[in-house]
Amino acid sequence: MSEPTPRRAAVTGIGVIAPNGLSTDAFWKATREGISVLGRITREGCDHLPLRVAGEVRAFEPATAVEERFLVQTDRFTHFAMAAADSALEDARLGQSATDEAPFSVGVVTAAGSGGGEFGQRELQQLWGKGSRFVGPYQSIAWFYAASTGQISIRRGFKGPCSVVAADEAGGLDALAHAARAVRRGTDVIVAGSTEAPLAPYSMVCQLGYPELSTEGDPDRAYRPFTSAACGFVPAEGGAMLVVEDEDTARERGAAVRAVVAGHAATFTGASCWEASREGLARAIDGALAEAGCAPEEVDVVFADALGVPDADRAEALAIADALGRHGRRVPVTAPKTGIGRGYCAAPVLDAAAAVLAMEYGVIPPTPNIFDICHDLDLVTTRARAAELRTALVLSRGLMGSNSALVLRRGATGAP
Amino acid sequence: MSDRITVEELAELMKKAAGVTVDPAELEQRSDSGFDTFGLDSLGLLGIVGELENRHGTPMPTDAERCKTPRQFLDLVNSSLVAGA
Repeated sequence: MSEPTPRRAAVTGIGVIAPNGLSTDAFWKATREGISVLGRITREGCDHLPLRVAGEVRAFEPATAVEERFLVQTDRFTHFAMAAADSALEDARLGQSATDEAPFSVGVVTAAGSGGGEFGQRELQQLWGKGSRFVGPYQSIAWFYAASTGQISIRRGFKGPCSVVAADEAGGLDALAHAARAVRRGTDVIVAGSTEAPLAPYSMVCQLGYPELSTEGDPDRAYRPFTSAACGFVPAEGGAMLVVEDEDTARERGAAVRAVVAGHAATFTGASCWEASREGLARAIDGALAEAGCAPEEVDVVFADALGVPDADRAEALAIADALGRHGRRVPVTAPKTGIGRGYCAAPVLDAAAAVLAMEYGVIPPTPNIFDICHDLDLVTTRARAAELRTALVLSRGLMGSNSALVLRRGATGAP
Repeated sequence: MSDRITVEELAELMKKAAGVTVDPAELEQRSDSGFDTFGLDSLGLLGIVGELENRHGTPMPTDAERCKTPRQFLDLVNSSLVAGA
């Protein structure tokens, strides 16, 4: 008897709710064109705060995306997650009847950084304004980091392995890796990703303590990583969910294999220790490449973490050079998040979605608002660059010290 | 305020506390069906109990939040409200 071929984790569906688009198509078009949608924060109760610029998801109508009971019972970050999960499953052509036939074969993995801050604030205002008897019981679950995983699985009837990664911004990549591992271990489908909703007064006040946060008021100047004008990062809401599926199962049902989650590694180097993140990120890249069986020269594009803090940008540029050697100075690097902001755990998932689309279309999206780079990187700026892309490396670091790298390989099928 | 709680009020509370829309006539007709079949979970029922306590200014029986069906729930809370009135 021969050894069975190891299972591979394919990406078969993408669902996006982003500041620059409420569908994967709209997100990709705006991302490819390098359109920046950063703007002054307009959400209620936020206009007096020193954090003024963000990537808001403006046209999203929760009532059209989810049923009324989820409007009452869950936070905005979960509304985003449900909408993105629906889109991803539809994109993968996995309808409700298909998943109902094998509910134990489908699981959910999400990552969350801030949880349901808006819902929590409303209930805490009830607590201090009226008393404990006026706090609704759904407060017990709606604010919680695990809410989106739980509610997606309940809503769609999934009974496979479910989990939540709480690992800082880089947790977004760890969630995709965790999903890939679950698929390799035997689950056919995992809906994986992250959405965040940190643009509500309480959540914003929490973020004001981050020294890395940009308080620049001009949207065109607020988030400019890898330049001498770097002054921190701009937060964002929204995110993406991907359908991660056993490659053979996907092929048998005729689904398009968009990409393969080939390698991942994560390290930890301490909160705001940006100089140390050089080694941490380089080691994460080494580990991800090793798991993928990928030589540094095979990396065709890098989606950078791009924090926008000079020490952190320098550490990332050096980490890419440390891990990829001479190829690190030649490989195209991009950071489309300068046009939409940094949605905490959701940011690297949106980058992974953009990486899959970039490989499919043979186009590297640019880094908006960036002109004079002060690091030894081939950063793609101003306009998209056509390129044959087989392998993408996605990087992410968290403010609390997590570093992650994810290697994606192009699927066998071409552009949809 | 110590009137009996009607199916109409229960339907309104299910919508307010848990976002579950149900026609009062259907709630009446299927009053022996489990709350779960209407889409109401245990937290939703707990929220309804809390709302009733705030409205009536009196604690509900401790078993109220454990009732499985609308009929059980209405019988229990109404007997308590009548007894307390």
